[in-house]
Parts: sequence; C-alpha cells; structure tokens
Amino acid sequence: MPYSPIDETIRHAGRIVLGKERQIRLALVCLLARGHLLIEDLPGVGKTILAHVLAKLLGLNFHRIQCTADMLPADIIGVSIYDRNTGGFQFHPGPIFAQLILVDEINRATPKSQSALLEAMEEHQVTCEGETRPLPDPFFVIATQNPSHQIGTFPLPESQLDRFLMRIDMGYPDREAERELLGGADRRDMVATLQPCMEPGELIELQRTVREVHVSEALIAYVQALAEHTRRSPEYETGLSPRAALALLRAARAWAMIDHRDLVLPEDIQAVLPAVAGHRLHPASGAPAASAADTAAALISAVPIP
Amino acid sequence: MGIKRDSPPLTRSQELWLLACAVLTLAPGVAHVPAWLLAAAAMALFWCAAIWWRRAALPPRWLLSFLVLAGTAGVFFTYRHFFGKDPGIALLILFLALKLLEMRRLRDGLAVVFLCYFLLLTHFLNEQGMDVAGLTLLALVVITAALSSLAHAGRHVVDHLRLSALMLAQAAPFMLVLFLLFPRVQGPLWGMPADAYSGMSGLSDSMTPGSISNLSLSGEIAFRARFEGEIPPKPQLYWRGPVLRLFDGRTWRSGIQQEKVSPGGTATESTVRYTVTLEPHNKPWLFALEMPLAPPSGAIVSREYQVLSKTPVRSRLRYDMQSHIGFVPGADEAETVLRRHLDLPGNNPRTRALAEQWRREAAQDEAVIRRMLDHFRMEQFFYTLTPPLLGENSIDQFLFETRRGFCEHYASAFVFAMRAAGIPARVVTGYQGGERNPVDGYLIVRQSDAHAWAEVWLEGKGWTRVDPTAAVAPNRIEAGLASAVPAGEPLPFLVRADLSWLKQLRFRWEAISNTWNQWVLGFDPQRQRELLSRLGMRQPDWKAMTAAMAVLCGLLLLGLTAWALHRRARIDPVQRAWNRLSRRLARIGLARQAWEGPADYTQRVAQARPELSPALAAIAGLYIDLRYGKLAGKEARRKLRGMIADLKIPPSQ
Amino acid sequence: MQPVAAFKRWLFRLYGPEPSPIVLTQRRVYVLPTRPGLAYAAALGLMLIGAINYNLSLGYALTFLLAGLGLVTLLHTFRNLVRIEISPGRVEPVFAGDAAHFGLQLHNRRRPGRFAIRLNLAGGEAVTTDLAPEASTAVNLPLPAHRRGWLRPGRVTLETRYPLCLVRAWSYVEPDLRCLVYPRPEASPPPLPLTAAGESGTARSGRGSEDFAGLRTHQPADSPRHVAWKAVAREQPLLTKQFSGAGTVQVWLDWDALPPDLGIEARLSRLTRWLLDAHAQGLAYGLRLPGREIPLGQGERQLQDCLEALALYGD
Repeated sequence: MPYSPIDETIRHAGRIVLGKERQIRLALVCLLARGHLLIEDLPGVGKTILAHVLAKLLGLNFHRIQCTADMLPADIIGVSIYDRNTGGFQFHPGPIFAQLILVDEINRATPKSQSALLEAMEEHQVTCEGETRPLPDPFFVIATQNPSHQIGTFPLPESQLDRFLMRIDMGYPDREAERELLGGADRRDMVATLQPCMEPGELIELQRTVREVHVSEALIAYVQALAEHTRRSPEYETGLSPRAALALLRAARAWAMIDHRDLVLPEDIQAVLPAVAGHRLHPASGAPAASAADTAAALISAVPIP
Repeated sequence: MGIKRDSPPLTRSQELWLLACAVLTLAPGVAHVPAWLLAAAAMALFWCAAIWWRRAALPPRWLLSFLVLAGTAGVFFTYRHFFGKDPGIALLILFLALKLLEMRRLRDGLAVVFLCYFLLLTHFLNEQGMDVAGLTLLALVVITAALSSLAHAGRHVVDHLRLSALMLAQAAPFMLVLFLLFPRVQGPLWGMPADAYSGMSGLSDSMTPGSISNLSLSGEIAFRARFEGEIPPKPQLYWRGPVLRLFDGRTWRSGIQQEKVSPGGTATESTVRYTVTLEPHNKPWLFALEMPLAPPSGAIVSREYQVLSKTPVRSRLRYDMQSHIGFVPGADEAETVLRRHLDLPGNNPRTRALAEQWRREAAQDEAVIRRMLDHFRMEQFFYTLTPPLLGENSIDQFLFETRRGFCEHYASAFVFAMRAAGIPARVVTGYQGGERNPVDGYLIVRQSDAHAWAEVWLEGKGWTRVDPTAAVAPNRIEAGLASAVPAGEPLPFLVRADLSWLKQLRFRWEAISNTWNQWVLGFDPQRQRELLSRLGMRQPDWKAMTAAMAVLCGLLLLGLTAWALHRRARIDPVQRAWNRLSRRLARIGLARQAWEGPADYTQRVAQARPELSPALAAIAGLYIDLRYGKLAGKEARRKLRGMIADLKIPPSQ
Repeated sequence: MQPVAAFKRWLFRLYGPEPSPIVLTQRRVYVLPTRPGLAYAAALGLMLIGAINYNLSLGYALTFLLAGLGLVTLLHTFRNLVRIEISPGRVEPVFAGDAAHFGLQLHNRRRPGRFAIRLNLAGGEAVTTDLAPEASTAVNLPLPAHRRGWLRPGRVTLETRYPLCLVRAWSYVEPDLRCLVYPRPEASPPPLPLTAAGESGTARSGRGSEDFAGLRTHQPADSPRHVAWKAVAREQPLLTKQFSGAGTVQVWLDWDALPPDLGIEARLSRLTRWLLDAHAQGLAYGLRLPGREIPLGQGERQLQDCLEALALYGD
C-alpha cells in the first residue's frame, strides 16, 4: 500500500473515536491539505479526543487553548517580559507555538483575540512587538465552536470562517458505537497508550505529495461549474469565492490521496464539498434554513458533471 | 412592440463602417459621373472623414438643406431634366454624400446602407463586366458588414466581415435559383429615356474618309459567331452591314430601305448556319455573312440584303442566321433602281475624266473594273491606318495626290469611278474576317475588323462584290489587318500578331468573358426557356417557373433552418464514449445521473448487476485514466470505445 | 381588449410562471421583419423593376442576392435567439419608489455566440447583453416598484435584431420571479420613540459589566477594579478593561402606539423609517404589529425579518 501510514492512522483513530471514520478522514484531509479545521458541535461529542488522537498518532506536539471572554491576544501569542538579568526583553511564546492546537470554544473569545489567532493561522507566523516569529511546521489548528448562539458569545464573522478549510460537525455516535464507548476503557487512557504512526517529517512529505495529485481539465471544469452555479442561482445569498473553489480542489486532492489515488475524481469533490463549502454558502433570505449537508447535496445534484 | 423608442445614436466604429461603404460604393462609378459632382462627393467624404477624425460636430441642418438644393440645381443644369438614368444616379450620389454629413442615429445609418445597396445597381447601367461584378461583390461584403455593425457595434472588424461573407455565401444559392427561375420579362417596362444607350460604338450608316480607320483602332468586340461545322475560309468572311448608296462628294450614306419581297435564293451545300452574339451598338442593323438567306425572328432582310432589326440593338443580342456564300443577287434589278446607283455629285473632275477615258477604251464592264484594280495595284498606293486628311475633292486628292488610304478610301474611289464609267455601284460596309478563339471555338469579330468594299452590278450576273482593298493589300483579306498595315502603325494592342503568349492569354480571357456574356449577361427570356427545357422542364412557362422557384427556395430555407437549429456538440471523445455507455445501460434502467461520478456510477451498476462488474471496472478504470488522469492518445480512446461497444448487457430478468 | 389579451396569451403561450430553466424552443421564437426590413424589401422591389426595365442581368443577380440575404438574415436572427435557456436569478428586496432589479440568467449551450439580446419587462427599461459561446451570463432587469408587497414582473420580452437589423426575433417568457418591496420609508418622521417605549422597552447604559469587550486607555475616574493589571505587569501604560452589557438600547416599535388617525400605509412607512434608524444606530429593536410580534433582536437578519413583516402586512 503506498500510503500505509495514513491507513494506520485512520485505523488506530477509529478504535478510539468510535463510529466517526468520516470525521477522522476529513480531519486528516484537512491536515494534509495544510488547512485548518472548525468543528461545530455540542460539548462532549468527542471533539477534544479527536484532536488528541490525531496529535498523538501523527507525532505532533499539542497545545490546547480554552477561550474565555477575558482572554487577550497576548494570552495566545505570548508576551515579551523584561528580564532583569539580561537587561532585555525575553519572548515567552504563547500556546500557539505548537504543531497541533485545539482552540476550544473559539466563539467565547473576543473578536480581537479571534482575529489575532486567525491571522496567525493564515500567515503561519506571529508578529509580537514588531518581531516576526514563524510558527512550527506542520501547523494545524482545530477550533471548536458551540452552535447555539448564546448571549455573550462572538460568532465568527464570515470573513474569518473563510480561513478554515473545513467545518464539520461530530454528531452523536450511533447506538453500536455508543454501547462500545460506554462499555470500553476510558478514552483518555487509551490515548495515552497510542504510538505515533509516522516519523517526524513524514507528514510534511505527505503534504507535499498531496500537491502532486493530478487534477485534469475536466475536473477543473466541474469545480468551476459548481462555483458558477452558486454564484448565479437565487438559492444562495452569496456564491463560492475563488478562494473557496481553490480550497475545494486542495481538499479533494488530499481526499483522493488518502483513497490511494493519484488523480482527483468528481466523487472526491463531492465528498469534501459539505465540509469545505458548508460554512461558505448560505441559503438566500426567504429560503428555509438547511444544514450544510443538505445544502451541499442540493448543490451536487443541481450541477451536472461536464 | 408597442414601446416607442428613439433610434440610438451611432458609435464611432459604426460611422467609420458607413464611411467605408460609401467610398466602396462610389468608387466603381467614378468614370460615369460629371466632374463637378465627383468633386462634390469627394469633398463630402473628406469632410465626413475629418469630422470623424477630429470628433467635430456635424454641419447644421440649414447648411445641409442648402447643399441639397444646390446639388439638385446642379443636376438639373447638367442634364436639363430629372428623369432618366444619369440624373437619377447623380441625385442618388448627391443624397448619399450629404447623408454622410447627417449621420446621427441608427436610422441615418440604415438609410446610408440602403442607398449604397441601391447605388451598386446603378453601376450596371454603364458596365456589366466581370471586373465590375467583382468590385460590386467586394462592396457588397463591406456594406453588409456595415449593416451588421449597426446591429452590434461592439464586435471586431474581422467578425463583421466574416459574418457578412458567410451570409452572402449562404444567400448565393438563393440568388442562383432566383436567377435561373424568376420568370424573365423582356424590358423595358416603359419608354426608355433617350440617353440610355449613349456611348456604344460600331459602324454607322454613313462613311467619310477616316471613319472606318478610326473604328479600326478599337480592339473592342463587335460580335461573336458560332458556326455549325467548319468556319469558312477567311476571304469569304464578309459580314454585311450598312449598304451605302448616296454620295455628296465626301460622305456616303444609305438610302431608304425596303423589305425584300421574294426570297433571294434557296439553301444549297454552300449554305452556312451560325449563331451571332451581337454586342449592343444602338443601331438597328444586324450582321450576316454575304448573302443572308432568311432573317431571324424580329428582323427583316432589305432589298439591299441588309439584315435589319425592328428596334435598335441595345442589349447583347443572339440570333441564328443562314447565309449562302457566293450567292450573287440582283440579276433582275429594275432599271429605276440601277439608275439610282449611278448618281454622282458634280465634283472630283479628274477622277470622272479618268473613268470616262477607261470607259471609252474598254468595251465591257469587267474590263473597266479590271483597269481600275490594276491602277491600284500598279501605281504607288499604300494601305495605311493613318491616311492624310483630304479636302473638298477627296477622291481626286486621294487618287492623284496622296495615294495613301484605308479601305474606305479605296472603296469610295472605286465606286465613284465605276459610276462615272456608267457601271451601277455601291459601297458596302461591315466587317471582314474575324479570329477563331481556340478555347471555345467562337469566331470573334472586332471593331478593328471593320471594312468597306464595293458592289457593282453586272449585266446578267447581278450585284458582284469587288474589294479594291484586296488589290492594294491582299494580306488584309487573307490574314487580317495586322499583317496588312506597315509595321509601326498604331494597331490595337490586342490585335498585334507578334505577341503570341499575350494572344493566348487574351483568347482565354475572352472565352471566359464570352461565357459570362452568354450565360450571365445574355440570360434573357429566350435563353431561360432554352435552358429550362434542356434541364427537363416540359413547359417552362411562368407558372412552372414560379412553382419550381418556390419549391427550391423552400428547400434551401429548410436546409438553412436545419443549420440554424443544429447543435454542434463539442464533447470530448472520451466523454462521448462514456455517455454512450450510459445510454446503453439506460436500456436496463441504469442510466447515469448527470451529477454522478464514474466511480459511484460503476459501483451502483455493479450492485444492481453483479455480472457486469468486471467488465465495467475495466471500462471505468480506463475512462478515469483518460478523463481525469494523465493518460491520453488515440489508441487508448479507441480501446475505450471498443470496450464499451463490446460490453454485453443481458436484459434484466 | 379582453379577447385580444386572451388571444395573445394563447398565441404566445403565456400561462403564468414557468418552471426553470425555460428553454426558448423554436416554437416559441417568433420572427418578423422590422421597419427597416420592410424598407429593405421595398428597395429590393425598386431594384428589381430597374433591372427588368434596363435588362440588367447583373441587376437581377444583385437583387436576388440581396433577397437571399434577407432570407438568410431571417434564420440568423432566429438562430441568435433560439435555444437560449433562462432561469431566474437573484432579486434583492427594495423599498417602494426605488427600482427593483430582477436577476435573470441566460445560458447559451451552443457554439455560436449570441449577440445584442435585448431583454425588458413591461414598463421597465431594456437591457442589452451578449452571450459568449457555451457560456452563461446574468442580467438585471430594472422595474420601478410602486407598491409594497410582492412585486411580480410578469413576462419578459427577449428580442434581437442581430445581425442585420432587418428582422426581429422575439420571445416571451415568464420566469418565476418576484421581488419583496418594503414600504417606502417616511421622509421626515418623528424621532425614534425611545422614551415612549416607557415600561415595555428598557433603555440601559451601554457600559455593562458582564462581558469583556476590550481595553482603552485609563482615565482617572475609572474604577481601579477595571485596570488591566496584567498589562501593567508587562510595563505597558495603564489600561482600563471595558465590559459590555448583553443588550444595548432597546426599542419596541409598536403599531398600536402610533397616532390613531394615521392610515395603514402611513403607519407602515413610519415604522419602516424607524426600523432603519434603529438599525443604523445599532439598537436592539422589536416590532409589534396587529397579530404579529417580532422579538427584540439586532443585526441584518432582524432588520430583514422586520421589513419583510411590514412589506407583507395585510397579505
């Protein structure tokens, strides 16, 4: 098998995060495509575990940021503190300096902190007191968000949502998975026993391979047709941006790769479409609100494959 | 519909298009327009171009109204009336030129275009050669492109031209059908204005010294003849034209012509049959070999054996003729008639004296004639295209002083002398000889073949042809003008004998041009009927023609409709093969959804019909590699098509 | 007039909104010569008479070629319009008195491009557009919106005179288009009823104390409890933490609180103006109409909901 480490990762992760193979795959795809992931779901459905498991299996160092309303940008990025011994400022890196970061309840942070975080995600570097510091490579953010619009939260604005390659929801486990979960060992203990499936550097190598997955003209035409449909159809408030179309291709490449293919099929696009386009597409005013999956399904069936 | 809207203003590119089509429309007619109008039109065009270039304002309306009035007055003073061809054209040109200075809105642009279309037609009143046709076609493409630019200003010049050419090409079959089948009516529909046919050249019914030699300088074609069988030898090719009887000492004229009552002879072996295509010359006479037997329809043969049409020949005319070569008519000519052929004016005393002297010396008429011809042959007479000018006693002067002359001088002097000697004689003008075009076998007779000879009445024989020119320059009759006149004379360029390659080229060009004349320009009601009956139409009357025209145009329209509705799919051949698979599987209810990818589809089919699974997997694998992978090439595509064609789909149970 | 309209409906197959996409099949594209086209035909007639009268063979040829051109144009114009697909596009709500813009998408699934396609709604201005080969384009057809509520534009006329202006091909379509027209905002209304809201609306200070909203430079009067001591520790200047309350100013826009002598449309017009003002000032607002109440809220969505309720009041 050409990409066995990935299969291994999926297999191991699936043993701990039960019944969520699609989510595991999508998270992995997001990582391989060098994008960031937003998970929107209720507390307690396994968001944190998923992040932990991925970090462990891929051999990445892991930080967790719990967002609160009084958190400052410096609490994420880090601060320079005057060192009396050296007589100069010493930079104390914040939790963002890790390869995999779990940003819990990002909508609790103030817009100021959110934008500091998201800028760092976008640029792969932070600027503190005029000094630019690169973030580690690979750098992968999993942010979680509570779906209910509670008072005192700051939902991410559209422009910030666009910085996440994907948004997925976890959903409740099915009956079988839940029974196994309830009867089995504690998930946190299991995470502790996990061994990395990849050598350091192997992930970066894989990320590079993703970019080499072949995309044919016919497929580009399909992505274009999808984007154009969303821009023209009255069903959507705004259409997919060119950045969204690019994201779709990037994610589809990674999806094709974990499917052991070196070319992208329309099916790959369709597989990643709900996760990639769901948070970028909004039904037009007047239309009934639909879930990301429904919106994506409607889009897929409306556009013939050229 | 219903909404009243103002005509939109013209854009700059549209104005440029209109200017270009005005220039192209006016260009071919330049030679036939009065100079002042030409200058005015050119000035208007330059003015319009300057306005366009400098984005200046158009001239005010009062100025334009004034110009229209002035121009109309100019036309009136030039022609003294407004009706007829030339003032009509002049007015159209004037309006076009001034309309260009008034181009503001789309409506004005359309008016310019329609004027241009109409003006194109007027060029044909002057000329209908292939060159004019070519120029007109070119102008047509540009005008049509200009019209299309009026419908859509934003497209590229080349797009407009291409579209225009395409549309004209598509219109050409309609033109052909209508041209062949539109029931032709012989014009004119009403009385023709007098000036309609000025400027046609040819023999006239009078002859002065120099009139034929002038005509001989023209290489223009007088008529063409096509013989049934061999063309008779050159010395027998005397094409009879006006017969001239009256002489005033300088000019020969024809007398009043009467229709011949009895036939002049019967057909024998020496009868030749031929068809003449006569170029228009605005005179009633037709040309026929000596002697014509029976007139073509619509014409008569006069007592002087001249073929006369009832109307002047104003368009190219084709007629069938029979002639009896060597026939000598007039053995029973009445005394009164003969006496008229002895009339002489009272001048030229020296010639008269010489003739009377010959008369006294010789007993027989033939001897006098021989004497005269010998005189020409023995003395120092020259055959030349550029004879000296002659004065009052032109014949005396020619015979005794200058001794240089062209055929009319010899014929004139000969007839004068014969009459003085008491022998009835007359001058016959026409053409002699002709040239066979080896390309299409037609005999071409040019204006340079114009000739004049004499006829004398001999007791017991009748009117006998005597060609005094043959005595001086036998080559003229045997071989044509070019070999007869001394080198260095200003012969028409195309008649010269020494340029053989040029001659070849000329023959070819003239053969094409003859075809053009015969089939395009000469396509008249008669020709139409001939052609249609040859094409198998049993009764080519106007009903049948209209019906055939409607049917053919309908068919053409249907073809064009099919073209308009035809959807040329630009589908990748790989995708076409894949669609074919879907169509085949649709028969068992497993058509591909439009949004279904190849892997999903094959999986769905394989689940429904597991027995197809292996073959399908191979097909889908190849398809995916071709369509979404890097695989390419004809071979692989052919293989895919083959696999899809070979797939056996058993009907579902 | 009635029978004529009925005949027209029958002839042009107008039976209300059509499902999308609407394809201009050959049966619904009509072709007739334009006025210039008739002039062209008349000119050809004159040319034919001239050709006959003067026996001009080439005159015949020219006239017949131009006649052929006329027939060819017929089909070119027809081809320029036939098989265009039309589907409804975006329509943004507008206020009464403004022009509504009805989005339409035109699709050309064929190789030849389409040129100078002119679209218009009855009573609206025409829009001219081109369609590239195998491409789609979107057009916006303006139509003045006079009355609040749903505005249905009715049939769209598509016509073209391309390529030679001599022939007009046209078709009528009735895409499923509608535009929500909000009431026209009153021009000079009384100020927002902030105080009049009295017992039902509470006007609270913008300075809350519950949620951290950011930092600003310290002012001597600020409570020491709100100094950002962490920042002081980093030797930054004194900063004051700001907190915001859950609600800002709240206002209820109540139908029944308006003067009783105001007419329905006047009330709607005033409420619309107030809604816009409240939204512009960032207030939280709610709307009470007879039989309908929209709870307090903020933001675009709230504005849209309220305006929609006003637009459709009484429907």
